Amino acid sequence: MCDIIWCKKCNTVNYLDPYCFWNWKGKVKCAECGEVYYIHMIQGHMYKGPEPRPGEKPDILPLYADKPYDGYTNYPPGVEGKTRPYNCTPRHIYLGRADQRKFSIRNRPMRAWPQPPSTGIAGSAGFYWDIKKLTPEVWEEYQEKIKRGEVRDW
Amino acid sequence: MADPREVRLEDLPGPKSREELEDMKAPYEEYCRKIFDVGNEFIKPGALEGIRWLSCTMYIFTPHAVANLGELGAEIIKIEFPRVADPMRHTSPFNECYYYPLHDTRPKSGTGIGVLNANVNEYYISLDYHRKEAQEVLHKLVKMSDGLTECYRPGTFDRWKQSYRYLQEINPRFIYVWGGGFGYGPKAFGGSYDILGQSHAGLASITGFHEDFGGHPTKHSNWCIDWYSGTQITVAILAALYWRRKTGLGTMIEFSQVQAATRCIGYGVPLYGRFGVVRQRWGNWDTQLCVHGIIICGKSDYPDEKNPQLRNEARYVMVSAFNDPDFKELCTVIKRMDLYEKYKTHKERVRAEAQVEIYQEIEKWAADKSRSEVARILTEAGVLAMPVKNDKEVYESEHFRQRGTVRWMDDPMLGDVVVQSTYSAGLLSETPRRKFWDFRPVGADNVKIYHELLGYPVSTVQEWYDKGII
Repeated sequence: MCDIIWCKKCNTVNYLDPYCFWNWKGKVKCAECGEVYYIHMIQGHMYKGPEPRPGEKPDILPLYADKPYDGYTNYPPGVEGKTRPYNCTPRHIYLGRADQRKFSIRNRPMRAWPQPPSTGIAGSAGFYWDIKKLTPEVWEEYQEKIKRGEVRDW
Repeated sequence: MADPREVRLEDLPGPKSREELEDMKAPYEEYCRKIFDVGNEFIKPGALEGIRWLSCTMYIFTPHAVANLGELGAEIIKIEFPRVADPMRHTSPFNECYYYPLHDTRPKSGTGIGVLNANVNEYYISLDYHRKEAQEVLHKLVKMSDGLTECYRPGTFDRWKQSYRYLQEINPRFIYVWGGGFGYGPKAFGGSYDILGQSHAGLASITGFHEDFGGHPTKHSNWCIDWYSGTQITVAILAALYWRRKTGLGTMIEFSQVQAATRCIGYGVPLYGRFGVVRQRWGNWDTQLCVHGIIICGKSDYPDEKNPQLRNEARYVMVSAFNDPDFKELCTVIKRMDLYEKYKTHKERVRAEAQVEIYQEIEKWAADKSRSEVARILTEAGVLAMPVKNDKEVYESEHFRQRGTVRWMDDPMLGDVVVQSTYSAGLLSETPRRKFWDFRPVGADNVKIYHELLGYPVSTVQEWYDKGII
């Protein structure tokens, strides 16, 4: 279980790390607006709070934070003064934004970029991806790759 | 009298040359290639076709228990919480891979790559069990299904009146699986993680190097106990299905993950029980066999690579030469016959001090060689040696490719994707495992299941969706 503090002031979701917060009480600072919230968790359940404690000194920063309606552009772990630092930093290739690639290592098309929202009944999004119809520009690029002989079996 | 430790090739049964070996193995090789027919699995039937299973699961452990059934042909309905979904969708490298919008209400968050392989060939619906309307739907599904797997805290489904004792009233043939951390008992409310299983079951304490060598108890990097325990649940489910075939009755399977992990510690607990000895960890060496461990070589196989995982770490080789002739050969190769003379018997070699000396000397010999050189030299000398492979090399392995263990597939949703899990779990000649698709968006099959299977009107399904029930 990973609980959150959803700051109503700035609409930011502050994620709490389960190992630190499993049994914990104290104050956490919102990564976006700096509002301080008091929480008390017992066995992973939010027993008390989050209660705003404006002006008080926070005990700890959230692990990471985002604004769900704005996408994942905000505060990854380790942003100074905003989220908790990594003492053991992963290598650079594991940090930051995901690579949004169109093609796999054998140069065939895959689907790893923001997709349009669903249009189906009751959230029943279609999942079959017709590359030619839905992403003609990727299809074009793929045809170029085939012509250049870059598409491999392995 | 000849030294009994001397083994001559001509005295051994079996082929005497590479050509003879190829000749001898040809008929069996041909037979296997024909009956397993890698790549043509889809024309064969699935062993569990006709079984319908409900999966109220999250993360890797319990989902994998059901994915095994799905790969073997069962029809699986995965039930996720509306909008929130399986948290494993967000627990992955890069956090979010933007594969597909998770839900209309979170258009910019997707499903990460970590969820791959754990929910294969399943239909995805969403349902909030807390709502009154949900109970009727769930009961309908239970009536027409063979079983359910859930992973909530012990007693949660009971509190919601949908545990085994309630569900068997409406379907006596129902097989019910609870999978989680500790199960009933003193730690009933303890949750579970793979690392918790590895720690609680004593597995981490015997993994990694001893503190004397700068080591610590070590967890496996991947969640191996999740994958392992999931498979153990599948074994239990198959037994329950067989039992049901004989008696017509269902079963409840209560599966504690930390309990399952104790099975991996082998003779550790019996050792303590008989002798009071607490087994210690011995890192990449072996307490029972020497030489039988992993050594480090001086040079990387990829000295110019940018990625440190390749540049710095492609330097390890597994070496096994514990019986006397192999150890003699190893000492000959590393030009340290004095070691062979010093530790002629296995009993002498396996002692801790001897191991420290022997491995040090092998590593000294390997200090000016690359990993592949060491593996080649030792293999040519008849000693078992194998580079410690990384993911790239597993992908490139001819062995895995020929047997279809690692292969590419065109997933309907993900596009081009390498898969390994389905085909890593044994080959079946008549009813092989198959992967039709990996995962789907949250609620992708709501209409298929609620409307087409259960017969609710589409307007009702839409109403539930608008109310947040599904």
